[in-house]
Amino acid sequence: MAAVVVGELPALPLHTAGKYVAGAFVVVFAIVLIYVAIMAIRLVRIERQLGALLEQERASEPEERDAPRAESTLA
Amino acid sequence: MESSSRHPAGSSDTKHRRGGALDSYGKGLPALSIATVVVITIALALVFFYAPLEAEQGFLQKIFYVHVPLAIIALCGFVIGGVFAALHLRTRDSRWDMRSYVAIHMSLIFGVGALITGSIWAKGSWGHWWVWSEPTLVSFLIVFLLYATYQPLRFAIEDPESQARYASVFAITAGAFVPLNFIAVRLSTAYLHPRVLGSTSNLPPRMAFTFLVSLLGMSLLFVTLCKFELTAKHVRAQLRALRRLTDARAGAHSSAGWAGEAPRRRPRSAAPTQLPATRMSAHITGRPGS
Repeated sequence: MAAVVVGELPALPLHTAGKYVAGAFVVVFAIVLIYVAIMAIRLVRIERQLGALLEQERASEPEERDAPRAESTLA
Repeated sequence: MESSSRHPAGSSDTKHRRGGALDSYGKGLPALSIATVVVITIALALVFFYAPLEAEQGFLQKIFYVHVPLAIIALCGFVIGGVFAALHLRTRDSRWDMRSYVAIHMSLIFGVGALITGSIWAKGSWGHWWVWSEPTLVSFLIVFLLYATYQPLRFAIEDPESQARYASVFAITAGAFVPLNFIAVRLSTAYLHPRVLGSTSNLPPRMAFTFLVSLLGMSLLFVTLCKFELTAKHVRAQLRALRRLTDARAGAHSSAGWAGEAPRRRPRSAAPTQLPATRMSAHITGRPGS
């Protein structure tokens, strides 16, 4: 069965055209890979910004808890 | 991409319509990504193990299965960007501007791929990286260079509303130019460049099937990458909005006697902005905060 299928398939001649075909497919693959890398960098940046925002929120929580007490003391 | 229904300005769900926090661009993205990988893998298998070798060019003709779909999807993406831009001008919904921007941005990337693979094919087939007398190549380059000015145009305009409006006008005009350019090239007399679509196409059934699967794979890749880009931009916009809220609260505390940071200004960018609901509704009705 496999021999029949392989017999039906065209051969892959490795003559001079091979490097051009490989080059074209590698270019497309590289473009997609570069795009994914850029997206990964963006994702890391978003993660960092989100982390910083979370830290900022956590830091401001005690201040907010203290705020009514401070006002009542002044009053 | 997500559909958007038209609502009267100032309705109760205006906030949601203007790019609210409940929007989701990532819906269906995992399934779409898997489908893209599967179809592209099948397409590659068909290209190298199923499609017969072309009589004249032999193995070199395999570039056809990646170059032509890239070029077709890039041109279609430019037209789709124009359609989204028209919808933006019609509805004034900033999400259409975002879609138009992403479609054009992605088409430019696909266009780079089409130009490079085309050059490689030309070198292998004709012995030259570029042939200036070939109208198809030159016309594609003109369209590509035209759209290459899209992002500098956006970046040159600081006001987000003006930026979106001018960019939409540009996208519609340039989008109309793409099919006109295509027709003009078809009507030209030089037929050195191989014809793929139309009555002159004489692809054998196996080649035609492989080409269609490759085209489907590229289309899916385009849609998937567009959705990735839209999701990333939406997440960044949400993060900026969250930071604005935090800064505003910190500013309120500061004015009441507590220390807080000054509100951050949005850096200048070519990317569209999903405007806050109050500002957009003010723009539509002419009344601030209505």
